[in-house]
Amino acid sequence: MEYKTVLTTCGYCGCGCGIYLEVLDGELVGTLPCKTDSVSQGGLCIKGWNIHEFVNNSDRLTKPLIKKDGQFNEASWDEALDYVASCLKKIKAENGSDSIAFLSSAKCTNEENYLLQKLARAVAGTNNVDHCARL
Amino acid sequence: MQSAAGFEPKIIAFLCNWCSYGGADLAGVSRLQYPANTRTIRVMCTATISPHHILKAFQKGADGVLVGGCHIGDCHYIKGNYMTIKRVAILKDLLRFTGFQEERLYLDWISSAEGVKFAEVIRNFTQKIKELGPSHLRTTYS
Amino acid sequence: MLEKVKELLRAGEISGFIGLRLQNGHPAPHMFTKDHLDDLGSLLVGDVRYPLNKTLLKVANQYPELIFGVMVRGCDERGLIELFKWNQLKRDRVVPIGVACPQGLAEACECYKPYPAQWLVGEKTEGISKSKRLQKVEAMSQKERLNYWLDEFNKCIKCYGCRDVCPMCFCEVCSLEDRNFILTGKLPPENPTFHLSRAVHMVGRCIDCGLCEEACPSSIPVRTLYKKVNEIVKDYFDYKTGESSEGKSPLNILGEVTLELSDVNK
Repeated sequence: MEYKTVLTTCGYCGCGCGIYLEVLDGELVGTLPCKTDSVSQGGLCIKGWNIHEFVNNSDRLTKPLIKKDGQFNEASWDEALDYVASCLKKIKAENGSDSIAFLSSAKCTNEENYLLQKLARAVAGTNNVDHCARL
Repeated sequence: MQSAAGFEPKIIAFLCNWCSYGGADLAGVSRLQYPANTRTIRVMCTATISPHHILKAFQKGADGVLVGGCHIGDCHYIKGNYMTIKRVAILKDLLRFTGFQEERLYLDWISSAEGVKFAEVIRNFTQKIKELGPSHLRTTYS
Repeated sequence: MLEKVKELLRAGEISGFIGLRLQNGHPAPHMFTKDHLDDLGSLLVGDVRYPLNKTLLKVANQYPELIFGVMVRGCDERGLIELFKWNQLKRDRVVPIGVACPQGLAEACECYKPYPAQWLVGEKTEGISKSKRLQKVEAMSQKERLNYWLDEFNKCIKCYGCRDVCPMCFCEVCSLEDRNFILTGKLPPENPTFHLSRAVHMVGRCIDCGLCEEACPSSIPVRTLYKKVNEIVKDYFDYKTGESSEGKSPLNILGEVTLELSDVNK
């Protein structure tokens, strides 16, 4: 029997509010704001308050999926990435670079976002890079 | 913005099935005249009226809310109106504290034999709401 | 306090103690157990408050047969008394260890009783009987009050923080999430129904701990509203939340009627 709280940072947006994840017997059961965090000072938005819910959610993807005939089938990472690369190459050849757009996320780190925009600009050859917060 | 002269208030009346609604029926059958600004909602007992319902009525722009129940001791369900008077008392004080005109919420006991009283209550309440003007929530935050 | 908790854990009188622990330089809610008595070295009281009763509820629901200790201030003890009356916790399964709040904290909270029945840490300070927060609002005219509150409620971002942090909110289905009542997809949420409805739910529940206001990212003075609710209930029904372990809140029982229509329709 064990109850503890783990200090971490909310991953939903760029604010980075300090949160305590409540763990009871190895399971995530709740979230509390960290009141002594200099950024959030004990406040949280609705996403932050419920961040513990998505971690073990059954809706989460666990394997890459490829759609064939309207059905999603499990695939390996190699198959999935090869498929994505070949499709993007095809679209770029047929419709030009600017027909592809890249959408990033506040839940990614700065480094991951940098890599995505590098992929967009240097590899796909387009400036069409945007971010989920603008939607 | 309607002028004070032409203002026709919208009043919601929650009436309990056994007493107040009966009183309203009697007023109708007796051909008693009263202003047509009130929309009645029949409930089985005023105890089923939650502060949620009253707040929702105001939020949607009601200028006045009337709650009509049985006299104390006459409730069809024995003590339902005990809850009502407690809830309305607390809600009115809370409304006053937050700056609302708590006279817009009115509680009365009207029995099914009191058709005359029903008409009079509606007449007086409609007049009072006319004098208070449109609910602030109608124009600003609804 | 450390010694008392160690003694209780060692003797097996409690299976766990819910309190605060210094972790990564911050006070964090934690449950101390017999298997990790060394953790007690970082046991902390301090001035930062967390809803420990909520943790107690979570743990007690998982282990209903065990006895747990919990750190309580004046407000937490009021909360425990009410939770016993609301059948959320069993009196004989909870061992409260009291802390009396310092003067500064009592004044900031305007707490009327900043100490529990018994305490191991701290000294008794005078409670505050009339709240300046309430006086400030009551001094305003009706129009000023209306504008004040509508403007404050307009800042709400519907984070549900006030409800999520409240140690007395234990309902599994919350009316504030009813889509017919509070419409989804708009901000601020129904002004003022959202907050007035929460205030009505606080009748007989609010222990005046102030965690709601501390958790509000928009700094809405919700605590003032709930303090007023407590005052209304005291004036009409002579009922103070958490004061007595007998007698339920006026909206929780039918009871006898003590009000006249003339008291209501002033």
